[in-house]
Amino acid sequence: MAKDDALVLALPKGRILGQLMPLLRAAGIEPEPAFDDPDNRQLRFGTNLTGLELIRVRSFDVATFVGFGAAHLGVCGSDVVMEFDYPELYAPVDLGIGRCRLVVAEPRALVAVDDPSRWSHVRVATKYPNLTRKHFAARGVQAECVHLNGAIELAPTLGLCRRIVDLVETGSTLRANGLVEIETICEVSSRLVVNRAALKTRASELTAWLDRVRKGVRDRSDAA
Amino acid sequence: MSVFGSEADNTALLPTGLHDVLPPAAAQEAEVIQRLVDTFGQFGYERVKPPLVEFETTLLGGSQSGLADHIFRVMDPVSQRMMGLRADMTLQVARIAATRLARAPRPLRLSYAGQVLRVSGSQLRPERQFAQAGVELVGAASVGGDIEMVQLAVAALQAVGIADASVDLTSPAIVASVLDELALPADVARRLRTALDRKDAAAVGALAGPAAPRLHALIAAAGPAEAAFAKFDTIQLPPAATAEIDRLRAVATALTAVDPRQRVTIDAVEYRGFEYQTGVSFTLFARGVRGELGRGGRYIANAGEPATGLTLFLDSLMRAVPPPRPAKRLFLPYGTPPATAAAMRQQGWITVAGLEPGGEVSAQAAHHICTHLYRNGAPEPV
Repeated sequence: MAKDDALVLALPKGRILGQLMPLLRAAGIEPEPAFDDPDNRQLRFGTNLTGLELIRVRSFDVATFVGFGAAHLGVCGSDVVMEFDYPELYAPVDLGIGRCRLVVAEPRALVAVDDPSRWSHVRVATKYPNLTRKHFAARGVQAECVHLNGAIELAPTLGLCRRIVDLVETGSTLRANGLVEIETICEVSSRLVVNRAALKTRASELTAWLDRVRKGVRDRSDAA
Repeated sequence: MSVFGSEADNTALLPTGLHDVLPPAAAQEAEVIQRLVDTFGQFGYERVKPPLVEFETTLLGGSQSGLADHIFRVMDPVSQRMMGLRADMTLQVARIAATRLARAPRPLRLSYAGQVLRVSGSQLRPERQFAQAGVELVGAASVGGDIEMVQLAVAALQAVGIADASVDLTSPAIVASVLDELALPADVARRLRTALDRKDAAAVGALAGPAAPRLHALIAAAGPAEAAFAKFDTIQLPPAATAEIDRLRAVATALTAVDPRQRVTIDAVEYRGFEYQTGVSFTLFARGVRGELGRGGRYIANAGEPATGLTLFLDSLMRAVPPPRPAKRLFLPYGTPPATAAAMRQQGWITVAGLEPGGEVSAQAAHHICTHLYRNGAPEPV
């Protein structure tokens, strides 16, 4: 198989990889050793399978690579899928890992005096401007989003804005910054995503992969 | 003012989504459109030419189509009514069939090609102006019409050199009949439809309640035709859905009968752009090409007539056609007699004439990007 013909699977950098690798190994994917070497600067990796390559990018970029068909398959959080809402991205398998939730939070002092049902406009610091805007618009509130790429919890303490929309796993970061969850926007988990045109034009290869990963997820939940 | 200077002063900058098409791409696109229309003609489809602009109400054909968000509007100073620039030609052709050609014998076979303009692009189609070419088959309810439409689609793509297209078949009626059984509130049904279209298994699970396993099975069944039909047989579906699947099977069988290597996939949950389709529908893809080459399917035309159609999008289609062969251009040095020039053109040459004397002729030929030079009474390669 020509190199250009290899399927490309985009994986997210970061801690989710620890939960993901057992699933991939169960599906028969073994990355080349360089993949597990944190000092390696490589961006594309081979696997034990000639027709499959891996790339490792930021979680947000997984959706973009797959949404535009530069990668055929990928793994990213449902938060990222919803934020971009790419029409060409399918999310056919819930991997059930990386569970957390997307919430609205504000300083404890504000909660006592705040009545969210009276909002017509909010200013929110977030990594998810599109999702945030749509969430508030659905309840008749205009959201002005301050787009940050990290350390969102700093925004209220330094007066950038009073409210944030961010991912929460245990809530300890929020507490440490004097913030309280006031609303859950959605539950989040990692998804196997696939490019639409790729699924149509390379149907047998890709449906075989989807079936294999589905089976891996099922076996794991049966074992649990 | 930024360090980049004022964009308003830049004479090369065009508005977002609009492009100049240069040689040789412009000529190639014109040739591709001509071949598509010729193929439609060979199948008995006669060309119509609706106007670029018409009344907003007729342009939208009374349907609640998503097109309303896409059309540029201008006020007609003559009639004082709102006019729209067409964002899609399909409804214009359906209007022609229902009005001026209402008494023409059925089934009516019409073809069209032209430019459309949209207010905004999308992820896959940033272009706001692009060409469409397609056909409508009005007044044919039988599966024969569905078969003709996909066969014509494949033939048209082959005529422009796209041999490896894959046809994705669906019918919105399959999921519609499952959802009807569930009798969900309208907004839940709409969200479920979107979740199915995105194959978002988790969202389908959360919205569909007891029907979730069946809908998950429909998502998982999407794939190569033979395997998909085998999976459908194991899913319990309402009779209306089973009938649609039988129809899809007939179309898939007819396609592979023409060419056993034809790639056919089935996807029962596909919905985007098929909101007004009522039966067998299809999307055309080519390997390695972003987005759809075209799409089509069965719908109910203006006067309640059963109809089906096909639209090809030239922007994505041009990414799938093989590159044009470089043209053979013949340089005629200054003073070449007009009769010689005419004779060479008669033989099929593209001639480029030197307009003034002087200079080395082979250098001049190269300057004019000619492959050949007329010297000593005959063309010779440069």
